[in-house]
Amino acid sequence: MADRATELVQGTLDMLILKTLALEPMHGYGIALRIEQISKGVFRVNPGSLFPAFRRLERAGWIKPEWNPTENNRRAKYYSLTDRGRKQLKAEAYEWGKQIAAITRIMEAS
Amino acid sequence: MRLLYKLFLGITALFRKDQSEREMDEELRGYLEAAVKDKMRSGMTPDKALRAARLEMGSVDAVKEEIRSAGWEATLGSLWQDVRYGARQLRRSQAMTSVVVLSLALGVGANTAIFSLIDAVMWKMLPVKDPQQLVLLSSHKTKEGRGPTYSGYGISLSYLGFERLRRQHEIFSNAMGFVPLGFSPESVTVNIDGQPTLAGGEMVSGNYFSGLGVPAILGRVLNDEDEASAHRVTVLSYGYWTRQFGRNPAILGKTIVLAGQPFTIVGVTPPEFFGVEPGRAPDFWVALADEPGPTPWGVQPKQGQSPFTDKGWWWLMVMGRLKPGVSQEQARAAMDVWLQQTLTGDMGFSQSEARSFVIKLGPAGQGLDSLRAYLSQPLLILMAVVGVVLLIACANVAALLLARAQARRREIAVRLALGASRARLIRQLLTESFMLAGAGGLCGLAFAGWGARVLLLLMSGGTFLPLDVHLNLRIVSFAVAVSMLTGILFGLAPALGSTRLSLSPVLKDSTSGASQTARGPRWRLGKSLVVAQVAFSLLLVVGAGLFVRTLMNLEHENLGFDPHGVLLFGVNAKQTGYDGPRLVSLYDRLLDRVRALPGVQSASLSAYALMSGWCNTGSITVEGQTKPDNATVWWNLVGPDFTNTMRINLLLGRGIGEQDTPTSPHVAVVNQALARKFFRNLDPLGRSFSFGENFNPNEAWEIVGVVEDAKYTDMRSEIPLTAYVPFAQAGNPGTMHFEVRTMGNPNLLIPAVRQAVREVDSNLAPSDVKTQSQQIDEGLLQEKLFARLASFFGALALLLAAIGLYGTMTYTVGRRTNEIGIRVALGANRKQILKMVLREAFALVLVGVILGLPAALAAARLVANQLYGVKPSDPLTFSMAIGMLLGVASLAAYLPARRASKVDPMVALRYE
Repeated sequence: MADRATELVQGTLDMLILKTLALEPMHGYGIALRIEQISKGVFRVNPGSLFPAFRRLERAGWIKPEWNPTENNRRAKYYSLTDRGRKQLKAEAYEWGKQIAAITRIMEAS
Repeated sequence: MRLLYKLFLGITALFRKDQSEREMDEELRGYLEAAVKDKMRSGMTPDKALRAARLEMGSVDAVKEEIRSAGWEATLGSLWQDVRYGARQLRRSQAMTSVVVLSLALGVGANTAIFSLIDAVMWKMLPVKDPQQLVLLSSHKTKEGRGPTYSGYGISLSYLGFERLRRQHEIFSNAMGFVPLGFSPESVTVNIDGQPTLAGGEMVSGNYFSGLGVPAILGRVLNDEDEASAHRVTVLSYGYWTRQFGRNPAILGKTIVLAGQPFTIVGVTPPEFFGVEPGRAPDFWVALADEPGPTPWGVQPKQGQSPFTDKGWWWLMVMGRLKPGVSQEQARAAMDVWLQQTLTGDMGFSQSEARSFVIKLGPAGQGLDSLRAYLSQPLLILMAVVGVVLLIACANVAALLLARAQARRREIAVRLALGASRARLIRQLLTESFMLAGAGGLCGLAFAGWGARVLLLLMSGGTFLPLDVHLNLRIVSFAVAVSMLTGILFGLAPALGSTRLSLSPVLKDSTSGASQTARGPRWRLGKSLVVAQVAFSLLLVVGAGLFVRTLMNLEHENLGFDPHGVLLFGVNAKQTGYDGPRLVSLYDRLLDRVRALPGVQSASLSAYALMSGWCNTGSITVEGQTKPDNATVWWNLVGPDFTNTMRINLLLGRGIGEQDTPTSPHVAVVNQALARKFFRNLDPLGRSFSFGENFNPNEAWEIVGVVEDAKYTDMRSEIPLTAYVPFAQAGNPGTMHFEVRTMGNPNLLIPAVRQAVREVDSNLAPSDVKTQSQQIDEGLLQEKLFARLASFFGALALLLAAIGLYGTMTYTVGRRTNEIGIRVALGANRKQILKMVLREAFALVLVGVILGLPAALAAARLVANQLYGVKPSDPLTFSMAIGMLLGVASLAAYLPARRASKVDPMVALRYE
């Protein structure tokens, strides 16, 4: 982890959380860790923005919390993707793809 | 669906607040543990791992706060928190809270009270069916000259014209005619079980109630059949029913005697119906009928004449109900055509006579607008006055809150440092302001209901002005809006100011204040609040001064007669059936009786009491002389000894006396102004004049005396050219007013006078019994009201400004204790310190005065037409107002200044 972590691109945190949860239900720290690992440490999410995001997504009906036992016999709040969340992820991914392609084209134009 | 889901989650969270908090804690703890474990796995010692994880997480409380504010219920929850916290804060400073609530209650209450009057006078609709369809017809003469004459305000048509109007149905679905039975509110003698009393009534067309859509709450209302067959029946108003009959339902079918004729009571109108003229509520209604008894305007026509058949006498008021779909414009155009056709048609006016007449249609859904016309400006002025008072109160409250915010600097700094956002704190402070405003508004609303009734009483001079000032939605929303506005007004500045802190100096400072900020932005805000208060107070004090001087000028105006010790009362014998010579001799007999009463010095009578507002006007022609310009003559019918009784000085010749009988040569007494206008330096005695239209133009009246000028109708009017004519010679007087001069208190004569009237004829009752001084006071009602209210509010404004200045100066002296101590230590003496503080206070007041002066001048000019004998820019009033302000300001500043001068340098220097 030599590189300094970068701030997330504005407005992408929700999408990243949804994407992470698309594989399996996870608890808060797991999600933060996964985002950090997959981005190879480029993105680091701090709890101050992560938990409010959970609350937001939960209220929107895109994720669903559930208390489950952890590996070491404690319980933790696991979040899983709802059907509506899956749809939302698709829509956001599509939107994001379009934007990224456009930005790339602009940046590569000479 | 989505919204519902959110709502559901939010509400569950609200109700399971504890659980959701616990889960949040557990979740965050789990996160931290997982993070620590993870870091230990990558080789950190447990200590280091914990520290690193905590560092990453930041303040747990801040994170929790973030999570909480992600859901909507958090806003609600924290609002409730704010309210509870605010209530605690307000309870802790009870003195300040009560001062704030009280001054806001006064401000909001006064504003709401005046607003409810404005509402009742200017906006309230008549309690009838579809009031917006109603229009009032008012006729106007476009040029002088022959043609129909009419009496009084708001007249629509002659009776003949009305008969023709209601025969056609193109314009109105209903045309309702109505006319008062006298000029004054109580002009009809009502004999109930042998007891003569006075009441006011109206004569209305049969369709009046059905056309307006007013039902009876008891019995029935008048109908077309009543008018067509001239039924002698009457409908009572709810108020009269209550006052006279104690709401006894058994009065239906009872007979009462109205103006000498028996009438049967057939019904009572609803309590909210006060007739169609706001402020003038009839006691009863009878159907239009050309019969003996009550007559239109109480006027008794000469033998062989009748207002119902006279095409030239326009006396009926008419209200029309527009047909659905017909606009006022269309109706007006149709009315024009109809009027010209009717006048030149079978009513027999010439083309040119007819053309000088127009009938205007005005919206009448609020009733006739006479009250509106004369009360709206005074009410708007009062509204402005109380508005300014409210602003001053706001400034005061803002200053108080500002001072308190200073005291709470540490608390605010601590909360900011612990992670509260500035917006959150501002919200907290504003919540407190709104709570104060809300409490003030609530108290104000209670106070307003009471205040409106007191104002109503003041405005009507003790007699009941029938206006509905009950709270309604408009008034309540006004009060709420005003309170909220004040809340923002006085709360926002301190809230913004006190949350803009640099934290470390405040937190480091162990004492409560930091002297380096004494001249910071917040302090400037406090000063400008004082300046604003001074400027606004100047406005009100100047206004109060102008109104008080107006009243003084009017009260000390030279009347030309002596009003003290005179009792007035009216008698209408004509209504009781007297006529011609019998009428004159009745009044003579009554005069003799009154003169014989113990304590009476002299007595006389006249058609109109002086200063009652009523008068006769007309033109005269003098033999062998062309008429001068602007020579309208105001005349009065008087009895013997009139000028002597009223103490109007006789200059030449004699006054009207006993020798002037119906059969003796016609004589007149004129005032100086008339003599000067018509005869310049010639001797007026022995000359004759004749009245133009009002009397037989061939009759000549010989001038037998000249008296000094005296006021006639009211205080404000210039003294008119006046002629006094013997009532015995003028033919057929209606109501006559007696003047009784006594040596003692004229009120003590009242029982004896009533007794005397009853003894002369048991069917007579004296009306308008009052002293001449009371009569004058009634004419000055509005001036008195203005002077009183403006003085009251001016004093209130001064008091508030003084408190504001005192508070601000005390505060600044407290802040500068240290500095003052150093000055004293360096050799400044007490006097210098005193001067320094006073100079600062005076600088504030002066800036306020300079800013307030142009505003006061402009405002004074706006009310110029309400003033009398004083210019809007009256230097004396202005300098007195400024002097008063400076006086009060120096008192308010002296105490803190003295405290400053007593500062002990040792104590002051140790202070920090």
